[in-house]
Amino acid sequence: MTTDTLTRPTPAPTRSPYRVTTSRVLRSEWHKLWTLRSTWITLITAAALVLAVGITMGSTYDGDDSEIDTVVFVLFGTQLSQICLAVLGILVTAGEYANGMIRASLTAVPRRGPVLWSKAAVFTTVAFTLSLVTNVVTFLVAQLWLAGTDKELSLTDSGVLGALAGSAAAITLLSLIALALGALLRSVPGGIGAFVGAVLVLPEVIGTLPLDAVDTVVKYFPAQASSSLGSITPVDDTVSAGTGLLTLILWAAALLIAASALLKRRDV
Amino acid sequence: MIRAHGLTKRYGGKNPKTAVDDLSFEVRPGTVTGFLGPNGAGKSTTMRMLLGLDAPTAGRCTIGGRAYAAHTAPLTEVGALLEARSIHPGRSAYHHLMALAHTHGFPRSRVEDVLATTGLSDVAGRRVKGFSLGMGQRLGIAAALLGEPSTLILDEPVNGLDPEGVLWIRNLLKAQAAEGRTVLVSSHLMSEMAVTADHLIIIGRGRLLADTTVERFVRDSGSGSVKVVSPAAARLTELLAGPAVTITSDAPGTLDIRGTDAEHIGTTAAAHSIPLFELTPQSVSLEQAFMDLTHDSVEYGTPLEGAAA
Repeated sequence: MTTDTLTRPTPAPTRSPYRVTTSRVLRSEWHKLWTLRSTWITLITAAALVLAVGITMGSTYDGDDSEIDTVVFVLFGTQLSQICLAVLGILVTAGEYANGMIRASLTAVPRRGPVLWSKAAVFTTVAFTLSLVTNVVTFLVAQLWLAGTDKELSLTDSGVLGALAGSAAAITLLSLIALALGALLRSVPGGIGAFVGAVLVLPEVIGTLPLDAVDTVVKYFPAQASSSLGSITPVDDTVSAGTGLLTLILWAAALLIAASALLKRRDV
Repeated sequence: MIRAHGLTKRYGGKNPKTAVDDLSFEVRPGTVTGFLGPNGAGKSTTMRMLLGLDAPTAGRCTIGGRAYAAHTAPLTEVGALLEARSIHPGRSAYHHLMALAHTHGFPRSRVEDVLATTGLSDVAGRRVKGFSLGMGQRLGIAAALLGEPSTLILDEPVNGLDPEGVLWIRNLLKAQAAEGRTVLVSSHLMSEMAVTADHLIIIGRGRLLADTTVERFVRDSGSGSVKVVSPAAARLTELLAGPAVTITSDAPGTLDIRGTDAEHIGTTAAAHSIPLFELTPQSVSLEQAFMDLTHDSVEYGTPLEGAAA
């Protein structure tokens, strides 16, 4: 060994200040998310779509849709932002397999699990914060036109904040499910296909079967369970907001646990 | 120090393909060890197993005495460059390295240091998408050096590099080894390893063919024949004849002698006043020796004895 600055004396592992910790992996994933253009593009697009649709709905309201829940009405755009955020979730996990970045990530963090959980945590924080802010802003902006109609409401009215936050939670958890699907399938097109097919389309198809049992089961599918979350008043034929939130959390947790187990077992 | 013991990797269920077959070797610090084999010999698979990316079907491997995944700060223990690019093309070189640095708590100055070492400081802010193959390799090396690791594992680092880049990597590897690090570098080019490596581990079809030094590999696998040109070739043939010696002649007055050395031939000729016009030891090229060794393994799938004891 020389005294060159490049050479450290072989230290006892515990003496080195450098060590992989959960907070450091979180920081790394936070850094990774924000240093890609695709993140900014999908997030800005998601927010812009909700706001634009909300303004359109508010400014063109003529009283015809009076039976529709006001929060659901101004947040119709979330159906579009949902796709953006689901795609971002899939990019966060499956995207690393497309270019091999996953090998660098797992070489740096060979325990592997923390990489997936950190991705999920960072994504959840960003998606929920963005959705909540977007929902509140969109609601307030739409109210500029809705004042004086039967859809005039303020943030402090009963159930409004809950529905705005519920909508953000639903979008976030559904996108987290997409993130987990991306981790399970390790392919961006595969993840998008699985999310659209299994989460958005399949339950609609199954739901047409004339069986009561099927109707009950379909209520607990992720997209269906989220129905009442973004609404001030409960939506007919769906589970309650509380049950829906719990159902979505269980779906996301189950898929993430499965993805984590496979991540640790599979070759990269 | 890298140790592999009985390392085996099989793919596929019913009709498994064996990529690495009962491979055992050690890589010592302070020297550059070349990991050689034809394409498909199992070099990359072995390296992925060393890094814990692929799980061995059987056997085990350790770096610095532990399995790779057991290190609390793996990047300070092992720096790796994998053959396939492991970089998101949409991120800049700086941010790629910073993302890796964050996992271990390395300061920003470390990232700037390795960018300078690899000559990437000027392009650090550019997205990797626009990088040439050589710049991509340099970025991969920068990532490997990030934690000032005591072991370097580099898979085909000179692939696609221009001569200047090849020379740069060669000098870098030698310098790293001279500082006491363990350096394992794979290649399918014997000529490159001959000038870079001190030690050789040669595999074919996933099995160990040779674990030896470059010098000994040349000596042991070289033909060791001596070319002699003499007007008294016939007389010399008689004098040198012996059970271990074979002498062939391609042209009148020209002999190709095996089983003895130039010193003995010269002394014998002088003792009998035989004039010699030429006395040339013929060393087989490294590339040829390597091809001879691996050709057999590829064609018949039978391992040769290691050239080293």
